[in-house]
Amino acid sequence: MPTIEIKNLSKTYRVYQKQEGLIASIRGLFHREYREVHAVNDINLTVEEGEFVAFLGPNGAGKTTTLKLLSGVINPDQGSVEVLGHVPWERENEYRRKFALVMGQKNQLWWDLPAMESFRLNQHIYGVPKDEFERTRDELCEMLSVANLLGRPVRELSLGERMKMELIAALIHKPDVLFLDEPTIGLDVVAQHKIQEFLKTYQQEQNNTILLTSHYMKDIEALCKRVVIIANGSIYHDGSLEDIVDQFSGDKIVTLQLHDDRSLEAISKIPNLIEIDAPKIKFRVDRDGVGRVLSQILADHAVDDIVVEDPPLEEVISNVFSQAEEKGRRVGEPLPNS
Amino acid sequence: MAWAVMNWGLFKIIYRHTGEIGLDSGWHEHEFFIFLGTIWIINSLIQTLFMANAAEFSELIRTGNLDFALLKPIDTQFLISFPRINWSQLPNGILGAMLIAHSLSELMNEREIYFSIFSIPAFLFFIGCGAVVMYSVMICLASTSIWFGRNQNLYNFWFYITNFYRYPMEIYQRSGVGMALWGTFTFVVPILVVSNIPARILAQPLGTPWKSWEWGLAAYAIVGSIWSLMASRWVFKLALKSYRSASS
Repeated sequence: MPTIEIKNLSKTYRVYQKQEGLIASIRGLFHREYREVHAVNDINLTVEEGEFVAFLGPNGAGKTTTLKLLSGVINPDQGSVEVLGHVPWERENEYRRKFALVMGQKNQLWWDLPAMESFRLNQHIYGVPKDEFERTRDELCEMLSVANLLGRPVRELSLGERMKMELIAALIHKPDVLFLDEPTIGLDVVAQHKIQEFLKTYQQEQNNTILLTSHYMKDIEALCKRVVIIANGSIYHDGSLEDIVDQFSGDKIVTLQLHDDRSLEAISKIPNLIEIDAPKIKFRVDRDGVGRVLSQILADHAVDDIVVEDPPLEEVISNVFSQAEEKGRRVGEPLPNS
Repeated sequence: MAWAVMNWGLFKIIYRHTGEIGLDSGWHEHEFFIFLGTIWIINSLIQTLFMANAAEFSELIRTGNLDFALLKPIDTQFLISFPRINWSQLPNGILGAMLIAHSLSELMNEREIYFSIFSIPAFLFFIGCGAVVMYSVMICLASTSIWFGRNQNLYNFWFYITNFYRYPMEIYQRSGVGMALWGTFTFVVPILVVSNIPARILAQPLGTPWKSWEWGLAAYAIVGSIWSLMASRWVFKLALKSYRSASS
């Protein structure tokens, strides 16, 4: 049985459209205009035990709404979901002991108290035995290097330190399923890397199922083999990261280190030139034409080094988002902003 | 506390001009101050235990932080009802207890009051019923934040509704409108019963033994407390179904 099974899941919000100004406000008391926003639109998805799946999509695509539906925070308009055999919005305690949701933009720790107090509260709420709680807490603190911060009020922690504490609070009951909504948002590269490393190690050790949303491609590259792209509330693509690059990136980027300036001048007339940093030249070539173009250059010029690589993942994903949104507009779907 | 003292002063002035509130109601000065003390105790309990939490609940809805309460494997209504205790509201309750003790001793000097080992436990039990009913009203009011998005007037609503339970129920029984209010706040939202019954146990405005309708109301106070709690729970759960969770 899959860990997560989503069938025809939809969630629509009715959003009040307020016009600017006092008169419009008074008119709004008697005649209100609403717009329907299809935050999640007929989604089907299956996730197996131990998978680490990335949810990618532009802002307002429906990623967070999907995670909130899976964690039972909100109720859907239609469709069915089973996570570990439970219907999330029935909010059974048995289910709520088996998963955790971490939101990078929201804080679940007691603001004025040390994080340790929040951990202790979670221990009691989740019914974790004392020795198991202490063992888990110490392990997590060691992995995230925050043992010395347990006694410091949350409001005095840096964003990175706070996010690490949020993760510990969420993992203290060892959930089977973990929903992570932009856990590295706003963090510096060092903190991002630390959290990526932690999540990778933790998932390998625990074999839990993780759904991650993030706008940082480094997170996705480091952690997820499977990527689900959501746009306009619908799933646009479901596959591996390599699939996405193969399918949505038509070009390769070629960097040549040339032996002499004469060659540099000749090749600089090539179409799709990106940059020249003598003796290096970088240009874009159609995927299918890489072999042909390179053999032609090698036949005519002396080349010291060749690098052929995929375009940056951010660029590929950005193209995918644009295509997905364009497709959504063509079928008349309004762009959600929830 | 200043408000309590002003409240006491106001009724002190009123009782300089009249001996009784209502004709043959039995609510003379000392009896009424026992009633007033009872109200202060119930209010103090609500404001100490629930008021700040109910206001916080509205804020949790507005900011979307109710999400985290919904994730926890514990009853959500319990979790949002008890996270904080506002100790600063407790002195009003202590003041109420002192006012009751003083008024009761004055009353005992004037006439015979029936007092047994069950009187105080019964009084406290019905105070508990009062707290349950007022808590239920507050949860219902706070739950409306889920539909409205925010409810900054919670304190105002609370003040308007509690205005009706601050007086002996006899004041409503003189006119059609009064009877409608009495019926509404006795049988639909039983706030009048739960303030009047504990006060009647100690003050005994109509003497002892109790009239049969007083016993009936006492029984209804228990039923009303249970019904209020069930109704508030239903409203809370219904409201949660409409929870939209503020965007992050």
